[in-house]
Amino acid sequence: MSVKGIRLTGTALAVLGLLGLVLVYWLSFFWVSTEVSQGIAQRIFYVHVPAAWTSFLAFGIAAFTSGMYLWLRDERLDRAALAAAEGGMVFATIMLTTGPLWGKIAWGTYWEWDPRLTSTLLLWFIFLGYFMVRTGTENPEKGKRFAAVVAIIGALDIPFIHLSVVWFRTLHPDPVVLKPEQPTLPADMLTLLLVSLAVFTMLFMGLFLLRYALENLRAEAQARSREATA
Amino acid sequence: MIEYLGQVRAIVWKDLLLEARTRERVVAMGAFAVLTGVLFNYSIDRTVVRPQDIGAGLIWMTIVFGGLLGVGRTFHLEAQDGALQGVLMSPAPKDAVFLAKVLSNFVLLYIVSLMIVAVFMLFFGLELGSSAASLGLVLALGVLGFVALATLFAAVSAGTRMGETLLPILIFPLLIPMIVYGAGATSRLLAGRPGTEVADNIRMLAAFALTAVAAGAVLFRFVVED
Amino acid sequence: MNASELAVTIVPDSGVSSPAVPALEARGLVREYGSVVAVAGIDLALQRGEFLTVFGPNGAGKSSLLGMLAGSLRPTRGEVLLNGATLDFGSVDLRRHIGVLSHQGFLYAQLTVEENLRFYGRLYGLRDLDRRVPERLSHVRLAERASSLVGQLSHGMRQRLALARSLLHDPDVVLLDEPYTGLDPSAAAILRAVLTEVRDGHRSVVMVTHNLREGLALASRVAVQVRGRFAWQGKGDEVDTSDFERLYHRVVEGGP
Repeated sequence: MSVKGIRLTGTALAVLGLLGLVLVYWLSFFWVSTEVSQGIAQRIFYVHVPAAWTSFLAFGIAAFTSGMYLWLRDERLDRAALAAAEGGMVFATIMLTTGPLWGKIAWGTYWEWDPRLTSTLLLWFIFLGYFMVRTGTENPEKGKRFAAVVAIIGALDIPFIHLSVVWFRTLHPDPVVLKPEQPTLPADMLTLLLVSLAVFTMLFMGLFLLRYALENLRAEAQARSREATA
Repeated sequence: MIEYLGQVRAIVWKDLLLEARTRERVVAMGAFAVLTGVLFNYSIDRTVVRPQDIGAGLIWMTIVFGGLLGVGRTFHLEAQDGALQGVLMSPAPKDAVFLAKVLSNFVLLYIVSLMIVAVFMLFFGLELGSSAASLGLVLALGVLGFVALATLFAAVSAGTRMGETLLPILIFPLLIPMIVYGAGATSRLLAGRPGTEVADNIRMLAAFALTAVAAGAVLFRFVVED
Repeated sequence: MNASELAVTIVPDSGVSSPAVPALEARGLVREYGSVVAVAGIDLALQRGEFLTVFGPNGAGKSSLLGMLAGSLRPTRGEVLLNGATLDFGSVDLRRHIGVLSHQGFLYAQLTVEENLRFYGRLYGLRDLDRRVPERLSHVRLAERASSLVGQLSHGMRQRLALARSLLHDPDVVLLDEPYTGLDPSAAAILRAVLTEVRDGHRSVVMVTHNLREGLALASRVAVQVRGRFAWQGKGDEVDTSDFERLYHRVVEGGP
């Protein structure tokens, strides 16, 4: 697909995603029923959970394309990893800001080591490491390789991290019983959650494609300016 | 295969020989262990907290910081004379170089970790009972995973402008499983529980260590190529 | 002296009747660091026994060229061939045939002379170290210092040890990066004696140096590298030292 094609698809997905987001907001305020124990504040759940899901999806894409990049050395794969990592970090940030806000309102405390929040926080720092090594080298080619290694190791570690954080939680349950959602969601909440997941994924894919196209253009511009001065 | 092992052995032997001659890292890490114990003692209020309750955590944190100190320098000595370049230019495969580095760093840090446990037992009145062997195993697996990650990312951070200061930022998130399972098991063992109760932890630590070593062996070549 | 008439892949007048596969060959080597082009396209072909000296100002990309020939620096484009076999960047087997002397030395200061050599010998999978190591040490006139720590050696001695290290595994191709840097005249004389022995007709050597006199004394072929390319090439025995100095300055300042 040409760069133009990618941008068009990306724009289409992003616009659809944004429209979908408006829909999700409307549905979560006016359509879905109120959760019994937490009240209105619980509705943030429909943004909070999909954001987390998207950030992990993004990281998976970044790790996979990084691995392919190291194998095939195609610059486009590295650009895809960069685009995915950026998107992932944004959504992780969203998750990490909505989480504590929700926690404060719903349970009276900003942070209490909820496994999902903790895993996402650690993921956020892995993203940070990705960008720090990427821009921290003298030779940009080295930076790309380093970043790819960070992404791959991070992806291998995330399952361990999540398992360990969950296990730790079973040992040290918080006195306040926390249930971000009921064990089984009522039908309308489940529907909205799934809709929101789809919308967030679509939005991310749109932004990802746009960012990828932008990076391709930037690389091309650099190459052309180099030829002009050579 | 024989040659491969010979190459790994040559590098490990060289590293340990250098360490024995200079004693740079082992002294620094050993002093660090004892001094950290002293600092911890003065940072806890014994009327409020029992050291036995937090001993496991303190031990593992000290291992992590001490390990950062020692492993972070693993490529420093080589960089001075460009010696690592010579090794990388040789027919020794990159994964052999990595495994050798992990092995020699493991020997170093494992000895230091035993030192840390001994010092903390002394300072804080901790007891082991009959589970010394299990603790030895828990330490070994935890240290192995740590060393694998730290060696790989020491090479990464050595290639950045920030250098060694980047190392903790890169590996701390990755070390959570090691801390959780390692300190968790240590805590139980120090409380007098039998080794069988920490079998699950040991399994997770082993899986973690294996993954770290294997992934590092595969990825190391991409880090050191030019 | 018109260098452009001398094509790169010529077989020299060594009495060989049929063109042999070059011992060391480079085709279209390019090396870029981001937007900086260090090597802009170099071709060369060395037969067995040839000794190529490469001169050039700092920043001409000579070290990058050697790095690629050694198989330790990945070319951005182009390839290197050893006896006709492509030097795959990741391949380790072909490295057994290459010996590298870098101005860095690659030596461990806290190990003895002998320990350094034995270590490298094991890395290269050599078996008969008990024979090779003393042999090499006497070859470079360092036999009496075998048990000295490298940190205690003078710069000239360390260079000789580094040379011994690079020759320990009897490589077909020897690459020398500025071996004469920092050597006083007597140390340089010893180095020249050793290198003359290296030039034994079986090995191919590429030497990068700033030392015009020493570089020309040993060379069977000469090249001047400027801004990533060979701006001039010629045969060693056709070049006179004083002429060459003028030529060198002309080439370097005149541009490629």
